[in-house]
Order: sequence, then C-alpha cells, then structure tokens
Amino acid sequence: MIGTGKIKQYANVLDKPLGKGKQEVSLSAFAFLFSELVQYNQTQVDNISELETRLEDAGYAVGARVLELLCHRGKGNRRETRLLGILSFVHSTVWKVLFGKVADSLEKGTEHEDEYMISEKELLVNRFISIPKDMGTFHCGAFVAGIVKGVLENAGFPAVVTAHFVPVEGQQRPRTTILIKFAEEVLQREARLG
Amino acid sequence: MTSTACFIIVSRNDIPIYEAEVGSAAKREDAAQLHQFVLHAALDIVQDLAWTTSAMFLKAIDRFNDLVVSVYVTAGHTRFMLLHDSRNEDGIKSFFQEVHELYIKILLNPLYLPGSRITSSHFDTKVRALARKYL
Amino acid sequence: MPPAAPRSGDAIFASVERVNAELFTLTYGAIVRQLLTDLEEVEEVNKQLDQMGYNIGIRLIDEFLAKSNVSRCVDFKETAEMIAKVGFKMFLGVTASVMNWDADGTCCSIVLEDNPLVDFVELPDTCQGLYYCNILSGVIRGALEMVAMKTEVTWIRDMLRGDDAYELQVKLLKQVPEEYPYKDDE
Repeated sequence: MIGTGKIKQYANVLDKPLGKGKQEVSLSAFAFLFSELVQYNQTQVDNISELETRLEDAGYAVGARVLELLCHRGKGNRRETRLLGILSFVHSTVWKVLFGKVADSLEKGTEHEDEYMISEKELLVNRFISIPKDMGTFHCGAFVAGIVKGVLENAGFPAVVTAHFVPVEGQQRPRTTILIKFAEEVLQREARLG
Repeated sequence: MTSTACFIIVSRNDIPIYEAEVGSAAKREDAAQLHQFVLHAALDIVQDLAWTTSAMFLKAIDRFNDLVVSVYVTAGHTRFMLLHDSRNEDGIKSFFQEVHELYIKILLNPLYLPGSRITSSHFDTKVRALARKYL
Repeated sequence: MPPAAPRSGDAIFASVERVNAELFTLTYGAIVRQLLTDLEEVEEVNKQLDQMGYNIGIRLIDEFLAKSNVSRCVDFKETAEMIAKVGFKMFLGVTASVMNWDADGTCCSIVLEDNPLVDFVELPDTCQGLYYCNILSGVIRGALEMVAMKTEVTWIRDMLRGDDAYELQVKLLKQVPEEYPYKDDE
C-alpha cells in the first residue's frame, strides 16, 4: 500500500542510526542535480580552471565524509596506512559504493614514481553532460577528482588529483583518467615504513 | 565510575574541536587546563604511532603521574584522546567506538565544516552519557 | 494504437538506472554548502535552490511523461496525485501523499514520506531561515509550468525546522490549457 508510511521523527539526528547505504535514487535525479551544480558554478567563475576548482571543492566535501563513513561501515574500523592500500580502497570500495562498480583500472605512472592513475571508460558524471565546444578542456570529472582528493588527503595521503580525457585507440569516446600525484611527504613515509 | 577523565577531540590539523571533563572528582579549572596540556603533549606520539598500525584504537600510549592517555584515531585522522585513571580497557574501547559513531553523524551533516568545533549540545550530552556508562 | 496504461511509480523506479542515495545526498549537501558560502544571505540561498529546482523541473517533465505513460494530466487534482505517487517515486525512490485539499480543488499539500535530501542534516544557528530542501519546491513549480499549470509552491512544515513532517503546499494560480508546449504525437 502506497502512502501509509511516515518519516520516523528523531529528537535529534544523532539518534538516527547510520544507514547501511542501500538506499537509491534514480540516476536521472542525480544527473539533473549534477548538471545544476555545474551550471551554477559556471556563473561564479571567469575561466575553466576556476570552474574545475569549484567542482573539485564540492567533490572534496563528499570525499572527506565518504572516507570516514565507509571505513566505519565496511572495514570494521580499520584505517589504511599504506599507499597501495588507500589506492585500492578508492579504486574498489569508494567506487563501488558511489558509482555502483569498481573502477576499470588502477595503474602506476610509468614516468613518475609519485603518480598513479585510476581510469574509467565512462565516468558516471560524464554520461549525462555534453561539453560545449567553447569550453575546451573542461572536464566535469573534476568533481570526482575532488572526491578522490578528499578521501586521500583526509586519510593522510595528500595529493594533487586531476581528471583528464585520454583517447583510446579504436574508440570514438575517450576514457577518463584520474591522475593522482602524491605529495613528497607521502612517499617519504612510505619508504620509512618499508 | 572513574574519578578523573578528560576527553578531547583533535582535528586532523591538530586543533581541538571538542573537550569534556568527565568523572566524579571535583572539577578544578587548573586541573582541566593541566589535563588538556598533557593530552596535547601526547599528540606527537600519536602522530608516529598512527602509521604503525591500521587499528583505530591505539590503547594507552602515554602516562602522566598516575593518569594514562588512551587514543583512538579515525580513518580521517581525527583523534579522540582520553586522560584517565581507569584501567578498564574494554570500557574505554567501547566509549571510543560509540563516540566515533556520533562523530560520523556530525561529519555527515553537509553544513558542518570538517575540522571545525563541534557545538551540538546533543553531542555533548551523549558523550557525557557514554562516559558515565563506560568509564 | 491505444495508449499504454500509466505505470506505477514503483514499477518505473525498479526499471530505471539508479545510484546510491548517499552520493546524491552528499552532492546536494555540497551544493547547499557552496551556496551558503557564495551568497551569504540565507534568503538568497533559498531563492537559488528554488531556481535550480525550477531549471530541473522544466527539463524533468519530459522524462516523467515518457516513462510514466501518462497522457497529460488536465485536472489539477489528478496531477497532484501523479506528482506524489509517481513523480517522487520514480526520481527519488520515495512516495508522498496528497492531502488538505481546499474547497475549490486548487490548493493541496504534498507530504513526503521519506526525504533523501536531508540525511543527518542539522541546521546550525546561523542558517535558521534556510529551507534546506527548497530545490523540491522549484522542481514541482517548473514541471507544472511545462504542463500549463502556473503554481506557487511553499513549505508548510519542515522537519529541519522542528516540524513533524515535510509538507509542501501547491497552489494553482492559473491554468492555460490551450498553451500546450508539446504536440500530442510526440
């Protein structure tokens, strides 16, 4: 019977149990919302790079919260202390929860020791946004880069994270690569931990 | 019930965002200040220890006279620090875990800026109730 | 060919692609947070959220009509029911009820039975005038405008402000049946 339920009222949000993360909304609802996020931010900036920074900030706010929530829910209160551990947490756990699937690939940069790449054939946020030609290199994956940065930085792995289109041979549409460049302190600590 | 305990939450950027003196001992202003000083001094130890284990509960990491410093580090490196004279490790662990859950709910509020002071009076009330229950 | 029967909100929701509600909730939260930082005045944030909702509403109606197999609702009463029972379900996975009709059938309330926008939201003292979910009122207003119903949508109850429910009042101001924005053969 539709229409008989009522929202349970708690005296305070702190009384409400943490959910299991099983609730869903339609992809279109998210698509509409995300597109408003992009359009609103376009009115607040002078150039593409500012726009990407603002999307990254919005994503960062999501990432910082998701880290704490998912480590509590899925990992039995374990923290990631190693670089590969946190990368695989992002590539698998975070991706699966937020985007419904594990990311297509996680690779180490071939030219730089401090670079890693998470790639996705079709990033969720790119599926419903078509970028006008005059916006050139704009990548709304900056939002996802922000989520990744939010997770990494809060877990103690500060990094510069950027989203890029990478052409794929034989494919019409480029894939998205989230490029992660860790801060020096992270690699030094990694070396120390052995 | 423990006779002395001082609980603080320190943000990832080493800023205290919540403090509570709990326990049955008479509350003296200078004692509270001393307690917080001791806890801050222990931050350096936490900083190193946190990377040697993936556990959140670091147990007792420092002592001051007859008081012990126990610490819990969340995934986002928010630190819960407790200065206490109780030896009830299980109780302390449960206290930290339940505060952690409350902290996650505070953090999930998009209008709460991560790393800023926790001003919710409900949070304060609940933390004090947990302290009475477990410490 | 006879028109296909209208589909229930549950059936549509089960058949569409879905995403984790936490991604949606946290993204919406990030938007509200940005607006509060940029616009400073809570009243301006309310307006901007309503505007964003309006922009969504005028685009979302196409998908709503197509997926629900609803031939355009001409009757305001029937329309309000469709929004509550089918619209909320197919997009947000929640249902809503219509109540409190006025005597001439031009004003009613939509009461949400769940609200995925507000998980763990608590308004700080500095945001007391904020209608956190104001995007929803804009969505309804925008969508109805595209089916030639000019409405005014206002919050009557808001749990974030201490009320016991989320209740939106939808008031029909003007109906312009001859101005269908879509052709029937679409």
